[in-house]
Amino acid sequence: MTTNSLTAAAQAAASASARPPRRRQHYSPREILLGVLFCVPAVAGLGTFVIFPLFQAIFLSTRGTDINGNPSRSVGMDNFAQLFTPEFGEVLMHTLVFTLFVVVVGVVGPLALAVPLAQRLPGMRVFRTLFTLPFAYSASAASVVWLLMLDPSMSPVNWALRVIGITAPEWTVQSPWALITVAWATVWVVAGFNLLVIGAGLAGVDEDVLEAARIDGASGPRTFFSVVLPMISPSLFFVIVTTTLTSLQALGQVQVMTDGGPNGATRTLVFSIFNNAFENGNNEYGLASAQGLVLLIVGIVLAVIQFGVIERRVHYR
Amino acid sequence: MRMTVRRGFGALAIAMAAALTAVGCSSAANSGGGTSGGDAAAPGPDVLNGKGQVEITFWHAMGGTNGEALQKLVEQFNNQNKGKIHVTVNYKGKYDDALAAYKNASAQQRPDLIQMYDIGTRYMIDSKSVVPVQSFVDVDKYDVSDIQPNIAGYYTVDKKLYSLPFNTSMPLMYINREAFQKAGLDPDKPPTTLEDIMADAKKIKATSGETVKFGFGATLYGWFVEQWNAVADQPICDADNGRTGRASKVMLNTPTNQKLFTWWQDMIKQGLAMKLDSNTDNGDNAFSSGTVAMALESTGSLGGFVKGAAEAAHPFTVGTGYFPKVDAANTGGPIIGGASLWITNRGDQVKERAAWELVKFLGSKESQVTWHTSTGYFPISKGALDDPADKQWVSQKPQFATAIKQLQGTKLDFATQGCSVGEMPSVRKEVENGLQAAMLQGKDVTEALTGVENAANKKIADYNAKLGG
Repeated sequence: MTTNSLTAAAQAAASASARPPRRRQHYSPREILLGVLFCVPAVAGLGTFVIFPLFQAIFLSTRGTDINGNPSRSVGMDNFAQLFTPEFGEVLMHTLVFTLFVVVVGVVGPLALAVPLAQRLPGMRVFRTLFTLPFAYSASAASVVWLLMLDPSMSPVNWALRVIGITAPEWTVQSPWALITVAWATVWVVAGFNLLVIGAGLAGVDEDVLEAARIDGASGPRTFFSVVLPMISPSLFFVIVTTTLTSLQALGQVQVMTDGGPNGATRTLVFSIFNNAFENGNNEYGLASAQGLVLLIVGIVLAVIQFGVIERRVHYR
Repeated sequence: MRMTVRRGFGALAIAMAAALTAVGCSSAANSGGGTSGGDAAAPGPDVLNGKGQVEITFWHAMGGTNGEALQKLVEQFNNQNKGKIHVTVNYKGKYDDALAAYKNASAQQRPDLIQMYDIGTRYMIDSKSVVPVQSFVDVDKYDVSDIQPNIAGYYTVDKKLYSLPFNTSMPLMYINREAFQKAGLDPDKPPTTLEDIMADAKKIKATSGETVKFGFGATLYGWFVEQWNAVADQPICDADNGRTGRASKVMLNTPTNQKLFTWWQDMIKQGLAMKLDSNTDNGDNAFSSGTVAMALESTGSLGGFVKGAAEAAHPFTVGTGYFPKVDAANTGGPIIGGASLWITNRGDQVKERAAWELVKFLGSKESQVTWHTSTGYFPISKGALDDPADKQWVSQKPQFATAIKQLQGTKLDFATQGCSVGEMPSVRKEVENGLQAAMLQGKDVTEALTGVENAANKKIADYNAKLGG
């Protein structure tokens, strides 16, 4: 759509101006060849990694595998019918809760930390580095760290809770907690990166604007919500989008921490796709592809919402 | 506006890429299954003559010390067969991963030899991608009488020995001897029934100054449920555990399992059993760190437990007992777990023969003595247990004598052979889901067991339908 309107605009501009541009409508074969050549790498990459797999996923989603994992039978819409079961509904629900938790906690938390860190006080550099450090962890490594932190036999977290008189829940084996625990490990990883981005956004807020607000008599909270927040909205929007995508793709942390348990209470969408396709000798490529298409649709819908609705409120300077 | 749209496409591309990396990987779905297993006569030893050095690949699932021991054995084989056969070993991760890798591989990508766990047996036969070991046994007039009959029984289907057992383990009851002594219990008489376990756990809990937190703690591992049913002499699949016909359904919602699940729930409710998940690593840590006084695990974990117990915050000594019975009157015995070696059919008789030479080497008495003493797996060779080096090892590890007695005391029938069904790995996972539902989510026992039965039966029906179509 963009390209079309651009070309139309260019043509309009061309016809409005003098003659020379009209000649440009006839491209020499060499130019066409060059144009095509320049497109080849992009088209080849897109074709190999996006378009071909997409069509293959659509094809596979109508197939059933034999016992050796060959997608040899057509099963029609059977795999899609399996998407309308309570089991898959639960998977979507877990994914939703997980994503909401990670996005809300993983954005608000770093924001709350970034505001005091942006103050020019001594020692803040050290704290900023410390809080950003989890960013260097992979999700799987962070999961192992948190598993140890919450291990029922030697958990320092449980010990600390006991000191203040709270009995710790069974973090990874109790139903609602397991999902929160996995989400928390994810928050821990994304928070570092988000802090970095939000911190950079805060550093870019113009002192003059803040001073103007102060002179106008705005209180601290008022300054934050009416001046600072709009000014860092591009950074906030960016971390919301990346955090959403990261949490939608959660796989390693679920595998390491709970393997989908207890009784499927931490099965998220990507975990379910991977599990159906590759784990335990399941080889249900058809069902996995159908679920993959659901993930694609979820991704598109979220992108449309985020860019169509939320971004309108984003203030780019 | 232009910026926004372009960014929009960028995000779309990211979302698509996210979705597609997941589904796109399924392009690894292979094509071209194995050619027919066939009963054609296996190639004799002459086929290797004049072929130069034959290269074969061997996939296995032995990590840590066990993997090192296997590597050493294969190196020994390579040295003995210099210029004739060279084996490349490839560690594929856990058993489940090795099975998944085999299923995900195309016929060309498959190895010449693979170590497959017990419950993968029926699938391997159904896959028609293997050469039954029996055909080599027949050609070579290979003497199989040295193999422990209970072990050979597991891998004999339709009167054919399909694979050569290699590493064999049984489940045992492990106890913390000091915790028993402090509670006034006899550590030489570990509990043998569920009631006994509960009674002992209560005594341990009531002991003042006890550092152990729970009397009992076992991983919610589907394998144990299979064992309890075998000990109760009850087949868990129809058609005599799939041994006299193709199994079509499981029988899990039985009084035995209801009693077992209810007992386990009670143990947790009363604070006598630790809440664990289905990851055996966590269960193993709970025992070797001294958190629980009684645990269930395979004989293969003995070495790790003894080492862990000595290094625990409150060091203790490890004792062993028979796998417990659900009812004192139970007459069966545990199933022989572990894995066996499968020769794959890739249409190259030279490689098949070379793989068989390696299988013979690994199953030999000498190799089994080395294997047993360096890993703690049960030797498949009867002769290995009479070997002086082996006898000395056993005398140093009195806990292992329990395993030998338990194996020799187990009668061989359909129940103690375990269920032979192609979807056994999935059935085990469903049982684990049921255990998690009952123990961790507090679901009603009958409801949990019915759920397991339905889910498992659906998987088996799907599998059998795939075989037909």
